[in-house]
Amino acid sequence: MGRTLPVVVLALPLAFAGGAAADDGAPGGAVASMPATTAGSAAERGAYLFHAAGCQGCHTASEGGGEPLAGGRALKTPFGTFYTPNITPDPANGIGRWSDADFIRAFREGVRPDGTALYPAFPYASYTLMTDGDLLDLKAYLFAQTAAAAPNKPHDLSPPFSWRFLLPAWQWMYLTPGPRPDEPARPAAWNRGRYLVDALGHCGECHTPRNLLGAMEADRYLAGNPDGPDGDKVPNVTGATGKGIGGWSDGDLTLLLETGLTPEGDVVGGAMGEVVRNSTSKLTAEDRAAIAAYLKTVPAVE
Amino acid sequence: MNNRVVNVLAATSVAGLLFALFGLSSGTAGAADPAAQVKERQQTMKAMGGGLGAVAKYVKGEGATAEDASKGVAALVAASGKDPKAVFPEGTEVGVGDSAAKPELWKNWSKAQSDWGAVQPAAQKLQAALQGGDRAQVAQALAATSKTCGGCHEDFRIKKN
Repeated sequence: MGRTLPVVVLALPLAFAGGAAADDGAPGGAVASMPATTAGSAAERGAYLFHAAGCQGCHTASEGGGEPLAGGRALKTPFGTFYTPNITPDPANGIGRWSDADFIRAFREGVRPDGTALYPAFPYASYTLMTDGDLLDLKAYLFAQTAAAAPNKPHDLSPPFSWRFLLPAWQWMYLTPGPRPDEPARPAAWNRGRYLVDALGHCGECHTPRNLLGAMEADRYLAGNPDGPDGDKVPNVTGATGKGIGGWSDGDLTLLLETGLTPEGDVVGGAMGEVVRNSTSKLTAEDRAAIAAYLKTVPAVE
Repeated sequence: MNNRVVNVLAATSVAGLLFALFGLSSGTAGAADPAAQVKERQQTMKAMGGGLGAVAKYVKGEGATAEDASKGVAALVAASGKDPKAVFPEGTEVGVGDSAAKPELWKNWSKAQSDWGAVQPAAQKLQAALQGGDRAQVAQALAATSKTCGGCHEDFRIKKN
């Protein structure tokens, strides 16, 4: 609802004024989501967003036989080990008591319903760019899933990173709350691609290196991270020609996102294997093409 | 003969027997050399990747002919028919040569084995799709085949740069 309304309001006058010629680029100043579909129920649209945003992987401890979305997966980082929380609708251990406003605030500002700050291991520095409409669709989907009573496990962090009261300072320094308006000079597919990469896909959380305080380094956007999840090296996906994707065709990019196959015939593993399996292989071909269209324009950083 | 000579003789013959057994069963020249086994595995993987890459190029319409693609898939079918024990002999985990195989591969051997075993049937389906000539079906079979590779890479391969 929150999303469709402004789009309709903006699009109607255009449609009346200009006939069919109004579809090049998003309606002026509108927010980027240009959804893959506006059909279906909120929960159905939310299912697509759930895949695009890659929620499943981190919030399920599949190795330990954990229930879906019941959390408990260990995320080893240079700051310590985070244990992901239960995001099923269980009222005691999950998010079943969260209101719409609570849900939006968690993603937009990184704040829990009780007012304490969330660690940016939950990638709200990216999810903050999601639109209210998409967030509420996602919530509708999550609330339609099976509740699991698994309790949350405390993070295992060393000081000063264990001091949660410092997080508002981090947010003040590094969090730019979204959403972000479209760039009207760019085609709609580019804007959609940017939304998929930056907001939903949160690609930069792994592909952009972090500074000492764990914030993404803006001037090395998507330039690769030598110290990614589980200590893996994460490749450069800017247009750089050496180690980047400057030499890749659109087909190379979309085929990797669909199947995990690289141009050399290798199949990605590790964290990206999981991303392909849970997320990018489940997108529409149009959305994968949009991601490629956007990535090709990311400035090369060697 | 004194004891020492007997011991040496016994040890030599046991070693010889072991060498003969392993040498024959794995069918590799440098059977006892783990670094060579890692190299050989990498060549197997390269052959598979090259084959898959040729099909991918064909699907993308980037300069590979149907013939290139069917040669590629034949290489993949052949390489994936190898015995997983020969491709992943014990003692070839990360740290040996430039191996990228996590020790978990051997700890979780039944999964590794079934992952490996899933490749050839998928590759044969891809081969059939190529013979059928329907590009959409080829693309679908290609995705299914790379999925079988990805299952193992995701769990058992470290990321190298």
